[in-house]
Amino acid sequence: MILIQILVNGLLLGGIYALLSIGLTLIFGVVRVINFAHGEFLMISMYIAYFFYAFFGWNPYWSLIINFPLMFLLGMATDQLLIRPLRNAPSYMQVFATVGLSILLINLALFIFSGDYRAIDLPFAKKVIQLWGIYLNYPRLIIFSSSIGITLLIYLFLQNTDIGKQIRAIAQNRTAARLMGLKLNRIYMITFGIGSGLVGIAGGLITPVYYVYPTVGVYFVLTAFVVVVLGGMGNMMGAFLGGLIIGIVDSVSGYYIDPSLKETVYYVIFVLVLIFRPSGLLGQVGAEEMGMK
Amino acid sequence: MLKACFRLLGNPKGYFVILVFVGLLAVLLFTRNPFYLNILFMILLYAGLSGAWNIIGGFAGQLSLGHSAFFGIGAYTSGLLFVKCGVPPILGIFAGMATASLLAAVIGIPCFRLKGPFFSLATIAIAEVLQILAVYFKKITEGSEGLSIPFQPSFYNLIFESRNHYALAGFFFLLLVLGLSYWIQNSRLGYQLAALRDEDQAAETLGVNTFRAKMTALWISGALTAAGATLFSQYILFLEPHSEFSINVSVNLALISMIGGLGTCIGPLIGSFLLIPLQEFLRTWIGGKYQGLHFIIYGGLLIAVVMFMPKGVIAFFSRKYDSFLLRLPSFFQNREALPPPPREAINPGLSPFPKPGDIPPEKARTPILEVKNLSKNFGGLRAISNLSFSVHEGEILGIIGPNGAGKTTLFNILSGVYQPDKGIVKFQGLGVSHLNKSHILCRSGVGRTYQLVKPFENMTVLDNVMVGAFCRQSGRKKARDKALEILQFAGMAQKRGMLANEITLADKKRLEVARVLATQPRLLLLDEVMAGLTPVEVQETGEFIRKIRDSGKTIILIEHVMQAITSLSDRVLVLSQGEKITEGRAEEVVRDERVIKAYLGESHDPA
Repeated sequence: MILIQILVNGLLLGGIYALLSIGLTLIFGVVRVINFAHGEFLMISMYIAYFFYAFFGWNPYWSLIINFPLMFLLGMATDQLLIRPLRNAPSYMQVFATVGLSILLINLALFIFSGDYRAIDLPFAKKVIQLWGIYLNYPRLIIFSSSIGITLLIYLFLQNTDIGKQIRAIAQNRTAARLMGLKLNRIYMITFGIGSGLVGIAGGLITPVYYVYPTVGVYFVLTAFVVVVLGGMGNMMGAFLGGLIIGIVDSVSGYYIDPSLKETVYYVIFVLVLIFRPSGLLGQVGAEEMGMK
Repeated sequence: MLKACFRLLGNPKGYFVILVFVGLLAVLLFTRNPFYLNILFMILLYAGLSGAWNIIGGFAGQLSLGHSAFFGIGAYTSGLLFVKCGVPPILGIFAGMATASLLAAVIGIPCFRLKGPFFSLATIAIAEVLQILAVYFKKITEGSEGLSIPFQPSFYNLIFESRNHYALAGFFFLLLVLGLSYWIQNSRLGYQLAALRDEDQAAETLGVNTFRAKMTALWISGALTAAGATLFSQYILFLEPHSEFSINVSVNLALISMIGGLGTCIGPLIGSFLLIPLQEFLRTWIGGKYQGLHFIIYGGLLIAVVMFMPKGVIAFFSRKYDSFLLRLPSFFQNREALPPPPREAINPGLSPFPKPGDIPPEKARTPILEVKNLSKNFGGLRAISNLSFSVHEGEILGIIGPNGAGKTTLFNILSGVYQPDKGIVKFQGLGVSHLNKSHILCRSGVGRTYQLVKPFENMTVLDNVMVGAFCRQSGRKKARDKALEILQFAGMAQKRGMLANEITLADKKRLEVARVLATQPRLLLLDEVMAGLTPVEVQETGEFIRKIRDSGKTIILIEHVMQAITSLSDRVLVLSQGEKITEGRAEEVVRDERVIKAYLGESHDPA
């Protein structure tokens, strides 16, 4: 019974990781940039959710209405102002740029909000549903079901809309896509926006359960890197699956090994993936270096 | 030897650098103010540490964002050995370097076989893991409470009463790093790293074992970082997981090199002189009052450098520095400083290539390359199916075929980029088809060029060719001589000082060939070296290819320029959809029904 409870906890936790990683992997797959500031976008949207609660008493879920468009714009701005001038530079320059943005945002938050841990105290956050002897935390259930919903939405969007098809075409072959007359810059910008917007949603959803502090994003983004590599870089379904797996690993190793060593466990998984299957769970074998220079 | 010393001393380049360092030494020996000495020590130490980072991050272009892993492991190894086992840090420093080398293997072996951002991610992950472990194993490391190192001043403990001595230790560490960097940059390893930073695959086909080169660089870089960390911990006398393994350390090392000039020897020193005082200033004056402000400036600075001066401060100063040096007087220079350009200096009679007549006729009939029943599929696509042919010594074999016929795939198999699914490739009687390592094939004598040219854009024409020459020569002087000789042979000696991205397409294509020639191949695979050239250039290239053959090489040529292929080739092989349609003399092949069909389709019926 305890094992089932742990697995369920892990699965629910995995929903958060999945939501974060889908955005990251989408940006990587299309724009070919690892956004090291991804976690800081999460941090910002958590602060927004927190302050709307603290000042106006808004339920954090309402803040999604602001968070998604705001992060969408922030993502597009990042792409246009930071990444666009570096499009043809070596990839490590783009890494430097996003690392710089990450440091800047973390410390800006530290400067403005100080390093205090803030939490939203909502009665419903502690609500638990009991189902066949398994305890399900209410807000975590919401996170999990919305992450499934959003993954499906994104999937449908990529499959069925014009922009979605263009995004997929560019992910598969930039050169061919350009020859077909696609406006690459516009699609990069939109993709960066969507990937960041997803983080905005994630931030609003997890604020009821997690503390808000300036380096909260670092904690999540490092996990998201593991998830993205595990799922196959640029592969959205892989990221979703990888998120759930890492969630379960997190919960199982936290209980059976030691809570303070759970990160170590998934970094070991990360290295094992690099050695034995660098293309990830769902990535195409041999494609792990696709398009990378 | 003595003469060389005098020449170095007399040259502004030599004596100015020596003067600067002697001046630095005097400053650090005679400064008495402990505040300035502290800053001086930090500048020297961080210049050394960042120089160590620069070996892998700059020279090799492998961006490590977790160098704190090497830093922390070096500091903890020597610190723990000292505190818990009483081993003096002067020995512990080597133990730290050894554990750092081990760590380098753990990170490098899985990551350097892959391209892309894996290495950056892995270094961050490893630094995180080490931090967690250092906190977790409290019994050994004292965990988050930190490990205090007792203040026992002695040379063997690397603990000094005078800060001047610390500064001196930092100075020697910096000298070690600078010396090693300079040596690497001018050695075979340095050329190989610069090449693979620009074009991994092209470096590999020029005989560079890219995995080994990156691994060596990481080893040196990690071990030096660990050594610097020991000096630092014996200065601070306190170790704590969250500061030793912090990502701030890693970013700091990268940022210093970046600001000074990525991939240059002296860049980290300049960066350190700019950044460390700024950092100390921000920490002392602002840091206490406003949390995070100095890292805001840091982050902003990193972005600004990347966007507006990606080559670092050194790019602004290098020209001024050169003209400043020119104005300084020279001494003991009884000879011209620069070697005379090798215009007509090389006696053509000294050509290292055997002339066509040198090849005995019976040898000319033995195949140098044999391909039997070769097949290669990509998923459901049959790129090559059941292909057999052979090439004789001293022959030019032309390969033609419509687009998608499998020509370039064939070259990729012959040069070890791909492994075939089935079949045998024998080069000089030895099976090579399953080596799957381009650099081994290059060393055994197969050279190839790429249809889409892949010059090392940030290197000069001469350096490009030298990368190839290093395949057989280990000394820089010999490689340089060889490269100059090849450039002379290729008629590009005048352009040797130009950057490879500044020359015309025709020259890039010729450079591609010259570079491969420098690896001294016996078999040359030329992939569309004439595509996109003007008729005159095509003619010149044709003459060049004939000249290469006459110097004793065997050539396989993929080409679409029909006229060139018919005039150059001894034999022509026609591929279509991965299969051999026919082979034979050029004039016969072009009249073959099946060939015309393959090019123009079924409907073309002369009847």
